[in-house]
Amino acid sequence: MEHNREFEIDGNSNPIQISRLALDIGGSLIKLVYFSRNSGDDEDPPKDKVGVSNGVNGRLHFAKFETAKINDCLEFISANKLFLGGGFQHQENCTNDRRFIKATGGGAYKFSELFKEKLDISLEKEDEMDCLVMGANFLLKAANQEAFTYLNGQKEFVQIDHNDLYPYLLVNIGSGVSMIKVDGDGKYERVSGTSVGGGTFWGLGKLLTKCQSFDELLELSHQGNNRAIDTLVGDIYGGMDYSKVGLSSTTIASSFGKAISDNKELEDYKPEDISRSLLRMISNNIGQISYLNALRFGLKRIFFGGFFIRGHSYTMDTIAVAVHFWSKGEAKAMFLRHEGFLGALGAFMSYESPSLDNLVVNQMVPLPVNASLVTDTNSDTLKGDLNGTESIQCSIYRA
Amino acid sequence: MAGLKEDPVLGIDGITIKEELKIVKPEIDKLRGDHPVLETVGEVIKGESLINNRSVIDKVREEGSCGQGERDMVPLTSNSIHRSGSRPQLDLSKAAIEGTFEERDPTILLPNQSDDISHLALDIGGSLIKLVYFSRHQDRLTNDKRKKTVKERFGISNGNRRSYPILGGRLHFVKFETSKINECLDFISSKQLHCGGMDSHCWHSETSPNGNALIKATGGGAYKFADLFKERLGISLDKEDEMDCLVAGANFLLKAIRHEAFTHMEGQKEFVQIDQNDLFPYLLVNIGSGVSMIKVDGDGKFERVSGTNVGGGTYWGLGRLLTKCKSFDELLELSQRGDNRTIDMLVGDIYGGMDYNKIGLSATTIASSFGKAISEKKELADYRPEDISLSLLRMISYNIGQISYLNALRFGLKRIFFGGFFIRGHAYTMDTISFAVHFWSKGEAQAMFLRHEGFLGALGAFMSYEKHGLDDLMVHQLVERFPMGAPYTGGKIHGPPLGNLNEKISWMEKFVQKGTEITAPVPMAPPGTTGLGGFEVPSSKGGTLRSDASALNVGVLHLEPTLEVFPLLADPKMYEPNTIDLSDHNELEYWFTVLSEHLSDLVDKAVASEGGTEDAKRRGDAFAHAFSAHLARLMEEPAAYGKLGLANLLELREECLREFQFVDVYRSIKQRENEASLAVLPDLLAELDSMTEETRLLTLIEGALAANIFDWGSRACVELYHKGTIIEIYRMSRNKMQRPWQVDDFDVFKERMLGPGDKKPRPHKRALLFVDNSGADVVLGMLPLARELLRRGTEVVLVANSLPALNDVTAMELPDIVAEAAKHCDILRKAAEAGGLLVDAMINTSDGSKENSSSVPLMVVENGCGSPCIDLRQVSSELAAAAKDADLIILEGMGRALHTNFNARFKCEALKLAMVKNQRLAEKLIKGNIYDCVCRYEPVS
Repeated sequence: MEHNREFEIDGNSNPIQISRLALDIGGSLIKLVYFSRNSGDDEDPPKDKVGVSNGVNGRLHFAKFETAKINDCLEFISANKLFLGGGFQHQENCTNDRRFIKATGGGAYKFSELFKEKLDISLEKEDEMDCLVMGANFLLKAANQEAFTYLNGQKEFVQIDHNDLYPYLLVNIGSGVSMIKVDGDGKYERVSGTSVGGGTFWGLGKLLTKCQSFDELLELSHQGNNRAIDTLVGDIYGGMDYSKVGLSSTTIASSFGKAISDNKELEDYKPEDISRSLLRMISNNIGQISYLNALRFGLKRIFFGGFFIRGHSYTMDTIAVAVHFWSKGEAKAMFLRHEGFLGALGAFMSYESPSLDNLVVNQMVPLPVNASLVTDTNSDTLKGDLNGTESIQCSIYRA
Repeated sequence: MAGLKEDPVLGIDGITIKEELKIVKPEIDKLRGDHPVLETVGEVIKGESLINNRSVIDKVREEGSCGQGERDMVPLTSNSIHRSGSRPQLDLSKAAIEGTFEERDPTILLPNQSDDISHLALDIGGSLIKLVYFSRHQDRLTNDKRKKTVKERFGISNGNRRSYPILGGRLHFVKFETSKINECLDFISSKQLHCGGMDSHCWHSETSPNGNALIKATGGGAYKFADLFKERLGISLDKEDEMDCLVAGANFLLKAIRHEAFTHMEGQKEFVQIDQNDLFPYLLVNIGSGVSMIKVDGDGKFERVSGTNVGGGTYWGLGRLLTKCKSFDELLELSQRGDNRTIDMLVGDIYGGMDYNKIGLSATTIASSFGKAISEKKELADYRPEDISLSLLRMISYNIGQISYLNALRFGLKRIFFGGFFIRGHAYTMDTISFAVHFWSKGEAQAMFLRHEGFLGALGAFMSYEKHGLDDLMVHQLVERFPMGAPYTGGKIHGPPLGNLNEKISWMEKFVQKGTEITAPVPMAPPGTTGLGGFEVPSSKGGTLRSDASALNVGVLHLEPTLEVFPLLADPKMYEPNTIDLSDHNELEYWFTVLSEHLSDLVDKAVASEGGTEDAKRRGDAFAHAFSAHLARLMEEPAAYGKLGLANLLELREECLREFQFVDVYRSIKQRENEASLAVLPDLLAELDSMTEETRLLTLIEGALAANIFDWGSRACVELYHKGTIIEIYRMSRNKMQRPWQVDDFDVFKERMLGPGDKKPRPHKRALLFVDNSGADVVLGMLPLARELLRRGTEVVLVANSLPALNDVTAMELPDIVAEAAKHCDILRKAAEAGGLLVDAMINTSDGSKENSSSVPLMVVENGCGSPCIDLRQVSSELAAAAKDADLIILEGMGRALHTNFNARFKCEALKLAMVKNQRLAEKLIKGNIYDCVCRYEPVS
């Protein structure tokens, strides 16, 4: 989980004015969101913001680090002097003795000493759920093409009517999984969750395949075939469907069920197949539990976020298939382009002033940036995997 | 197994019997090859000395042609013994005629007759094969005169066979690993399960067009292994839908077995009695390799609403890859010693040890299963397999619990039953599932489990035979018994269910020699009557708890269609026979100690009752070991055999004696005491007749209480026996009867009997007297009381045990006792004649004036049990019939009035009489002391 190359380059080569930083320190990953003022305020203000003159135009940047490599993160912050912008509104604040950064995630507690020691920064802890919901609400309302469905390899962006957004189910898949029913701004409840999440995929995957990173494990799953390890309905019924209950022969009857009967050792299985089985098991499970919870509360939409998904098409596909399967096509899984940064974004928005209302995303699209800040931003966002790390052009207005 | 290990006799570690049995197998195979006919009687051959060589020969001849023909359903008479070999059902070796030759229809005991009719159904799953088979057992062939009379009198049709669509018999439950399917085939073949069941009375002979026998089967393997079954056994598997079977099996169990369901929280099992009328709808979660969740709305009405692919196969599959365990059980066993905190990421790990209070997650909540395996620089080899297994188990159990709850919620289902082999009675699995359901439902929903989990499908397949008759079976017609091997099986997979008595004894002897490490895997010798789930004894390691210690043992279900609910129970649904609940561990320990201490004395008596022969000694030792093992198992897991009350424990002992063919341990003692008591009866009656009515009533009740001291079931009383003769003890005892007794309703009872003033109250129409011990108790206590009632114009029905238990008098013995007493008493004689008890007896006393019509009858009925206690939910049909006109019940003795039924309420008047011959019970029940008396009279409420 290297932070994006371009940030380093930019950070080192281009002394953009860093204004603000917020962190989401999870069990596996640290997510950073920071704001940079446009180097020149000469950029054309968005049309719909004409007339507003006291705004600060700039960009929101997104970066991530593995929690295990927290020192890289500290170095990054230090090198880019990200913490200087702590008191954005009153620049003089940065000279204060007490520097603080908004942070969320369990690690905000765990590593608060470390931040103090290494960077002399106090982490101001924001509630994780508050941040997640705030981040999601912001993105869903502000960013135009934020949510999309994914089925059979096809992404389709969904235009969500702001007035018909609530209630929805927000499923945040981090190390574990939280399922949050969101009824409005600041109005939400964690209704469920599961411990079988991204951490499980990576943890079990690491034990079973010796992959060195989550991404490597995900990559492997592309080439795998879960039939080698999972017991399919057809394996039990001698190749036949169990049509009476609507199970086709390729339905997984038991994940890892074949690892039982064969006289094979772990080494005899291809890591690709293991990764694929694991991914399907976990995605399917999350999709199912999410759907059941949506059903329980009568929620029309389920948004999946969090780092497990990572824009990984197969993951999204299995989750979407699970929701589709269990809802008999009535519910659709939706994903967020900035999945993974919800918490950090929420923390960012929790700075007291300016209030989040004043953070306005211009045009509500990630700009195809010609300022070379972010290289992977593509005007055709439907191509390629989304990784949500493209920056967002936006303005922050003084209250 | 901890309990067993500590047992100085049983706890010898050592070589497994497994090896020993293997040595034998080739020999059997050879024999089979040479003499195909022997194959049908594989159970007799075990490379061991045989009790009776002749029995083998007989057996071979008798069973040589496998019963394709119609089986004889008529209760056996001597005629059928002489049937030709073409109808070879009975093993007559060691057949003995019981009773005196004067009896016209003596009982014939066929000790070596094994299951004569079988029927089989299979559930072939991905990991395990489950068998359910039925063996028909001839009823005990008691065809005595008394029974006929009783039947005529109470209008019980003699054609029980026709009136009950179900046959008496036994349902056995056995399991095998699917990967060892050949063991299963051997088992079926050696027991001839596949060619039995051609009983036209019960099932139509079902054969496929090509003449192959059809066996009902379900589970995916029914398809996969169809050819193998055809090839090896020549049987066609008749596939039944898996879900149909699951549901049919679950519905049957939940309706037919009283305490089938239980909850399991924090290691505590609690059996739940489910109202049959309030059973549906429920959610059935079957956890096999995968998980199916089925909403059940009624018989045959269900829908698979959900499921998950993360199930038992996932646990085992992943577990195997991660730990190299060789079996599911080994993996489970490992989890017992695991600590999942080394692998799972807990909320506390993320929040630096703090709870995430806001959303109600404690620091120990698992945030991410296997989440710690991420960040640390550890390899798979660096983690303890124990920890991995536990993390995996928790992950999967929680997940299943959660999804199940969400589905129950979705459909508004109150109850969730979890079944299937993943659970395996494993305490931690059940706890985690329960925890998940409790956690997610915020305590509103409870997970329930089934004692026969794992056998739902096989049972359902069995039910799919046409006319199996099980649908009509009621709770009260099923008795679950735990044969000798039960303590060792732990509800686990396969093993050699043993056939005849000799094999049982041999096994016990080997067990004693070789210690607890017996994991005899293949049933070399097929089972006869025990139907043990098998004999896998998990090794017990050090001080650790056996992972399946809490696994429940599955017994053999005895189908006894003639049993009925006692019609005079005020509220049968609320009735609980046991006064002492042994789920209280102190109570359990106390009674276990009592029974253990009593054991050697009992064995001595048992051996003596069989003539003290070498054979009897062997059987006695085997019995002692078997019963000790039962006790040890129950100490380890009191719920192992289901809901455990004192009555169950006492019955278990009697059943265990019978299993080793100790038919009547106290036979000679009973005879001696009966004779001695009968000798002094005339004097007592004369004494009573000289009294006023009021004094007499008191003396009679005192006498009944005093005579109740003669009880071989009470340790305290056994000691008394060494100090005096019967009549001395009786007199001493009666003289000590100082009113008021500890529980003393005599005055109320007296008023009911004699009235407050001059006006005589209406006498009772019919009284049921539940008698207790032989000897003085019945002769000097209850008979005089019966006589008094008869004299007052009340019909008297003496209710006695069907089978011997301790020194309790049996219904078989009573007519002789009454006949003897009648020689000295006209009242008894006339009443006995009126009751048909004396038809056969030599009636040459007095002048022979027949005044039958002038006397109300004295009758004897059997109660349907062979235990010192009585569960009134399961009594004989003749007792139920006799109860119809009864308006007074007298329960006498500790077993029937205190240990059981002390709190029972009846639709008619009840008098409970007993002397408390146990200090602890006296303190607990009546806040009194040993030898205190209970005279509790309960008018109709």
